[in-house]
Amino acid sequence: MNKTNILDQISLLDKPYIIYRSKKGFCLYTDFSKKIILTKKNITSFLKKTNQKQKKLKKTDLYVGFFGYEILNDLINVKIPKQKETNFPKGIFYKPEKIINLNEDLQYQPQKIKKTDSKFKINIDRKNYTKIFNKFKTKIKKGETYQIKICTKYRNKSKIDPLDYFCRLTKTNLAPEAFLIKDKEYSIISCSPETLIIKKGNSISTKPIAGTLKKNPQLNKYKALNYFRKNIKETKEHNMIVDMERNDLSRICLPGTVKINKEKIVEEYKDLYHYVSLINGKLKKNVQTIDIIKSMMPGGSVIGCPKINTLNLLNHQEKEERNIYTGSFGYIMFNGDMKFNIIIRSILYYKNVSEISVASGVVIDSNAKNEFNENFIKAKALIDLYK
Amino acid sequence: MIYVIDHKDSFTHNVVHQLSLFDQVLCDDFSKVSKSKLNQASTIVFSPGPGSPKDYPISSKIYKKFKGKKKIIGICLGFQQILFCEGASIIEQKKIYHGFQSEVLVNKSSKLFNNGQKFKVGRYHSLKLKEPFKAENFDITMRCAISGAAMSFENNIDKIYGFQFHPESFLTINGKILIKKILSA
Repeated sequence: MNKTNILDQISLLDKPYIIYRSKKGFCLYTDFSKKIILTKKNITSFLKKTNQKQKKLKKTDLYVGFFGYEILNDLINVKIPKQKETNFPKGIFYKPEKIINLNEDLQYQPQKIKKTDSKFKINIDRKNYTKIFNKFKTKIKKGETYQIKICTKYRNKSKIDPLDYFCRLTKTNLAPEAFLIKDKEYSIISCSPETLIIKKGNSISTKPIAGTLKKNPQLNKYKALNYFRKNIKETKEHNMIVDMERNDLSRICLPGTVKINKEKIVEEYKDLYHYVSLINGKLKKNVQTIDIIKSMMPGGSVIGCPKINTLNLLNHQEKEERNIYTGSFGYIMFNGDMKFNIIIRSILYYKNVSEISVASGVVIDSNAKNEFNENFIKAKALIDLYK
Repeated sequence: MIYVIDHKDSFTHNVVHQLSLFDQVLCDDFSKVSKSKLNQASTIVFSPGPGSPKDYPISSKIYKKFKGKKKIIGICLGFQQILFCEGASIIEQKKIYHGFQSEVLVNKSSKLFNNGQKFKVGRYHSLKLKEPFKAENFDITMRCAISGAAMSFENNIDKIYGFQFHPESFLTINGKILIKKILSA
């Protein structure tokens, strides 16, 4: 295939494919020989497949796909009460037979679609958000949680061309964990900035984000760093996540090996700045894929702290399922090496409905108006695609 | 062996890692505590955790059973748990510290640390000890340099120690030394 119009060709072939950000550009995974839809029953046996001690690995000896939020709760025995469901699968992994490297500049001639509706509906309005917010502040005062992330959803009903949306998104917002899944029944378009796990051999690292600042012409990266450093609320929120991620790594790493590699740096994106740290460790012997998934997922920075109690509080509050939101997308090689992100800043396109979920943290000194607005800032780059 | 009783916290394994630098450490959820491990342990540690001491009657029972027989250490909620068992009230505080680095000051009642010594520590607590508080052989040995809230106690007769702050947090400077001191006390 000619690389310049490879995306045009693949969009015509009508077969599933995945595009995932790589170091140099993107990887295109396709020609799937297996598609595994995860359930409570098969997830353990699926994860066991990736503990093989193979010496020679082919590039395609991997599964690429995602874990939804619910199945990650199942894995760590956290219950979710009955919620409004969309019957979307709890997780799907694909075995590719072909991987093509693409460069950063994705070229694609979109299909012709009637004008899309740019209107989005929000599931929790500001009044209700404030109510929920105040309820959790009381829980923080009682010590039941130290930080909790309330999820709100934006929905739009209209037909879209996911590949076009993804390509446009990468032009404005080339996020380090960007990905697209294009399958017949659904698509996920993501500009996730957050890496949850990179595991190679016995090394493992995570890069939590906590702290968001909206861009304006007066700001630059240096000023943003100054803002975060001086802002006690953002600093405390970030500290908490760093200690929590150190904890999650400590479950599976050798004592004394968990280190903070980069402490509180700023990363720049289209509409915002993020406050980020990098933490790594050396895995204990005999740690299996399932142990890693269970200790690291769902990623702490999008849940709150402490994780288990906060998950329970969240699950009892949220009336609609999170679906893919705060799940993880990535790949696992047959030898157990893996890379996963946290699914945030993503569009789930299913049955002609686009769903964008966002969350921001309630801590003791946050206020409802700011957090409600922060949610919108986070969704904006995606909502703008529909204009 | 040190036996850590986990109150389902997201910092417990940081505690485990820090203690592992000094001894073998085992850790179980508070609802799945093993009698034989409790008996084998030389030191029992009550971990941090959400909620308040009254939510963990099992931990209170363990404390009362092993008080005076083994070294006991409490961190954050664990600190409150021990004091609660000693008759203290644990109350909400006006200003809440989550992910907060602050300075604590050692006072003259400490046998392990020097009077006037200061430490930078990481704090994650909504609740605090209601004072005045009195219990036999228990001394408040560190206080927040600003608010004066109780930050550490020592009972050097029964070998019971506690920190309201988190010695395992990356926000605590020299947390390892703090832990080493009470482990070797």
